[in-house]
Amino acid sequence: MALRPYWKGYLKLSLVTCPVQMTPATSESEKVRFHTLNRKAQHRVVSRYIDSVTGEEVDDGDEVKGYQRGENDYVLLEDEELENVALESTKTIDINVFTPRDRIEWIWLDTPYYLAPDDPVGEEAFSVIRDAMAAENMVGISRLVISRRERAIMLEPRDKGIVLWTLRYGDEVRDETVYFDSIDEAPAEAAMMPLIQQLIKKQTVHWSPKMVEDPIQEKLLELIELKKRAAKKAGKTNSKSKPDAAPGNVINIMDALRKSVEAETRTGKR
Amino acid sequence: MVSPRANWKGFIKFGEVACPVALYTAASSSDRITFNTLNRTTGNRVQREFVDSESGRTVSREDQVKGYEIENGQYIILEPEEVAATVPSSDKTLSIEAFIPCSEVDDVYFDKPYYLAPDKMGADAYKLLRDGMKRAKVAAIAKTVLFRRLRTVLIRPHGKGLIATTLNFDYEVRSSAKAFDDIPDMKIEGEMLELAKHIINTKAGEFDTRAFDDRYEKAVAELVKAKLEGRTLPKRKAAPKPKTSDLLEVLRESAGVVAARPKPAPATRNRGAARGKTAAVAKGSKTTSAQQRRTG
Repeated sequence: MALRPYWKGYLKLSLVTCPVQMTPATSESEKVRFHTLNRKAQHRVVSRYIDSVTGEEVDDGDEVKGYQRGENDYVLLEDEELENVALESTKTIDINVFTPRDRIEWIWLDTPYYLAPDDPVGEEAFSVIRDAMAAENMVGISRLVISRRERAIMLEPRDKGIVLWTLRYGDEVRDETVYFDSIDEAPAEAAMMPLIQQLIKKQTVHWSPKMVEDPIQEKLLELIELKKRAAKKAGKTNSKSKPDAAPGNVINIMDALRKSVEAETRTGKR
Repeated sequence: MVSPRANWKGFIKFGEVACPVALYTAASSSDRITFNTLNRTTGNRVQREFVDSESGRTVSREDQVKGYEIENGQYIILEPEEVAATVPSSDKTLSIEAFIPCSEVDDVYFDKPYYLAPDKMGADAYKLLRDGMKRAKVAAIAKTVLFRRLRTVLIRPHGKGLIATTLNFDYEVRSSAKAFDDIPDMKIEGEMLELAKHIINTKAGEFDTRAFDDRYEKAVAELVKAKLEGRTLPKRKAAPKPKTSDLLEVLRESAGVVAARPKPAPATRNRGAARGKTAAVAKGSKTTSAQQRRTG
């Protein structure tokens, strides 16, 4: 595996401990990447830090973290000092709670990482923790310091490894009642349920990564190729996007549903 | 309460049925800034500035433009309107392309969740879709232009409403199979598995996501206090040294099957084990004592 681990530490269940490493599950590397240029000079634009008072450039080596004590009053903290933050969760994922997977709602999932053993000596211990979670259909809950914040995390077995999710903080997920308040409590009209069930059944397919292909990325690459050929003489393409007419509000849902089901039946099974 | 502002307004369409809906941010990431970056020599805050890499002169916002590198140092410039033109015009409609069983949803693709709420006019169709999906245990896949990008969205029932989660594109998600490729195929069975299952069940419980507290800031505050008082900074306790006894023993002890011995003697007799040696050579001193493997 070529990717450098984002974090290394220990996974711990009671007295069982094993060295683990973690890599991000998402990546920007395959995306069409742009650089910021200075339009006039066509040189790359880079960012640098300047002193907010003197306006002079600050060397990388002179940048230091400051903990604010009061207005314009900072305590300087070096990286080595920060290493000593006395939280076990900076180096060890101690799983203290297990819960059925469905108790953690999807809305809490923030960022996924892949967790794997970091040393052959820990492979069996890692496998024990993973397989026992899988056998019991449970996920593990723990804490981990990532980017100088302590995060709640969820550990879920996946194939030979474990997916580690950071969970959102309590105040980051907005209260749904504000948004769903206007929806009345009554369930959907029972008379229409058979039809919607039929429609759903006809349109249900298996999940496929094809569903998350990005046609725009292709278009961008084509555009770049075109411009490359036109070698600097590309005129500005003019395509004012005009919004299509929005579909009207269907008054008779029942009729529309019937039509939908008929249409599905005609086009045959997927 | 102030009524929230919608991030997007449009329609949701399934079959021939359409109803007006709006999207609202469901989760925001809060910035918890514990630190500021300072200039060590002056103690002043630093500011970010964008400069031309050759001339070193500042470049104004208007002069910053996207460039795609074709060869070393050669760029194709793309103006914002050219990039925008690659995105199809928005029909303001979340058109459901397919339903997929909830059990097949691959959550690793999840990006950002939005509450999908009905407009007053469309509540009947909305509830029908919600209850239909709930009963069939499916989620819906739709594509639409959101915030000037063409996005795939996963829609699923949530309480009285629906949640729409934007999905990352295929090339943005790393293959888990590749990431886990190096892990040996080790199926754990028998006593070991039973013991581990037992430990898990003794720790089974509920987790209240709303009640979680970030202790990092407090720990930093303590560190700062120690520094100001001139105390030597407390060294962080080294990560617990993994036990050197064999895994089955450790599991038994964890599960309370055997009474924890007052002080387990270091399992020196394991030190010559081939497995441990390889690891020690490969990984250096830190993990030499991390012999977890059953050597017997």
